[in-house]
Amino acid sequence: MEYHDDKPRKFGLSDARLAKAISSLEPDQIVSTKGQHHVPRRRLTRGEMLLFWGLRLYLVFMVGVVIYQIWNGVR
Amino acid sequence: MKPATPASQPKTVFSPDIVISHEDIDRAHDREQVAATRARRGFLPRLRLLWLLVGPGILVMLGENDGPSMLSYAATGARFGIGFFIPFIVLTFAMACIVQEMTVRLGAATHRGHAELIFDRFGPFWGWFSMIDLMLGNFLTLVTEFIAIRAGLGFFGIRPAIAVLGALAVLSIALMTHRYWTWERIVLGAATFNLVFVPVALLTHPHWADVGRALLTWKPLPGGLTQETVLILLANIGATVTPWMLFFQQSAIADKGLTTRDIRFGRIDTALGAFLATIAALATLLATAPLFLHHMSAVNFEAAEFAQALQPLIGHWGAALFALGMFEAGMVAAITISTSSAYAFGEVAHRPHSLNLPFTQGKTFYLVLLLEATAAAGLVLIPGIPLVYIVLVVNVIAVLAMPPALLFLYMLVNDRDIMGDLVSPLWANLLALAVVVVLVAAGVLYGFSVIAPRTLALIGGR
Repeated sequence: MEYHDDKPRKFGLSDARLAKAISSLEPDQIVSTKGQHHVPRRRLTRGEMLLFWGLRLYLVFMVGVVIYQIWNGVR
Repeated sequence: MKPATPASQPKTVFSPDIVISHEDIDRAHDREQVAATRARRGFLPRLRLLWLLVGPGILVMLGENDGPSMLSYAATGARFGIGFFIPFIVLTFAMACIVQEMTVRLGAATHRGHAELIFDRFGPFWGWFSMIDLMLGNFLTLVTEFIAIRAGLGFFGIRPAIAVLGALAVLSIALMTHRYWTWERIVLGAATFNLVFVPVALLTHPHWADVGRALLTWKPLPGGLTQETVLILLANIGATVTPWMLFFQQSAIADKGLTTRDIRFGRIDTALGAFLATIAALATLLATAPLFLHHMSAVNFEAAEFAQALQPLIGHWGAALFALGMFEAGMVAAITISTSSAYAFGEVAHRPHSLNLPFTQGKTFYLVLLLEATAAAGLVLIPGIPLVYIVLVVNVIAVLAMPPALLFLYMLVNDRDIMGDLVSPLWANLLALAVVVVLVAAGVLYGFSVIAPRTLALIGGR
């Protein structure tokens, strides 16, 4: 990590103190670093897609069951 | 969508491509304390290290002992007394521990929130889908938290509008610290009031021999397996295992700055939280069990009615503690659940998302949090809204929404590209699979109990 001496005070800390504080973070804990290095995208297999959508349909169906039960209860 | 570096952060201090922000500095200060404490030997430094590293696990577990959860435990005690549901509640918290431990590892290994990982790894579609899914569920749950707040404070004669607005003010004050650490300690302090249900339970003089017998035998289950039993069963699962917990704990771990070296403490944090939450949940069930013995119907009770019904048995102070506990349950959950929504939105929309951000740098984060809470609070004040039904539905939907959420978690925590050697071992995967099987089975059982109630007879029910 390159250190710039042209800004002696930032966040109320001396540059040396700031550098020491930041060194206690792991590199990918720094917000801007995280923004630049994203977790690589992974393609879902056909089986995984089926499972994802199957569980979604299960959820939609079951929410319908809940609504049916409430409707019955209200009636 | 191309993710952007947060635009409102202060500019370069180090090399041109690394921007140090206010959020980084706050987190760095916390990590310095952890490193300094870890370097010391002895029992007291170990204890201090635990103090520094606990938080997300206790908060998520006590946060999930929220308004609808405590109402579910209270309704269970009043309807079924001491019996099957005592060991069942212990089992549900064991399930919660298994699930939440995975988020500890994910958060510490990747330093990213759950929604952010889903977005990055599986693409924007699933990222936005999960986030919207979460926010809808959270909104419904938040409504129930304000119902609990309204009902709890209603016992003391506080008007609904004042109770709800007061709760919103408390939520906003906690945020004004603009510091994760301070926010976490304030909310942890408030969450310990979840244990007020313990003295309430003791005031009812429970039969400890019956409690021990129930724990060992899982009996009795008065009335057997009926549609009502299945509904309560689902509500109790939904009272401990819900999607917002996954998102909150992982994001909080990333915000707190935990690393792979802290995973052991993250696990202790989670187990400690589960232990405390189990005690509070069982205490709530024990507190209302006398209503079962006195054959009092509590079908449509809200929190205040439970407190009023208990008053002849445990006195005014006992009832007041019960009502206070309901208020606390709703208040802490309103804070943690709205925070989980704000984290998830920021992670998916690539906006700054941290409790370490000053308001000017985290406007979106704080606005999402406050807007969702305010909208939910406003809904509770509309006259004629069927509040009891909303409470019922929230826990059930939480259980039904868990399997799809767990699938993402399972795939991420077994992804060697992002987890390295921290992928789940076989035993952890088997336990996670068992949790999914229990959740799906409970959902299917519920479906049959509603659509074809007679099928319950096939498995020994009525």
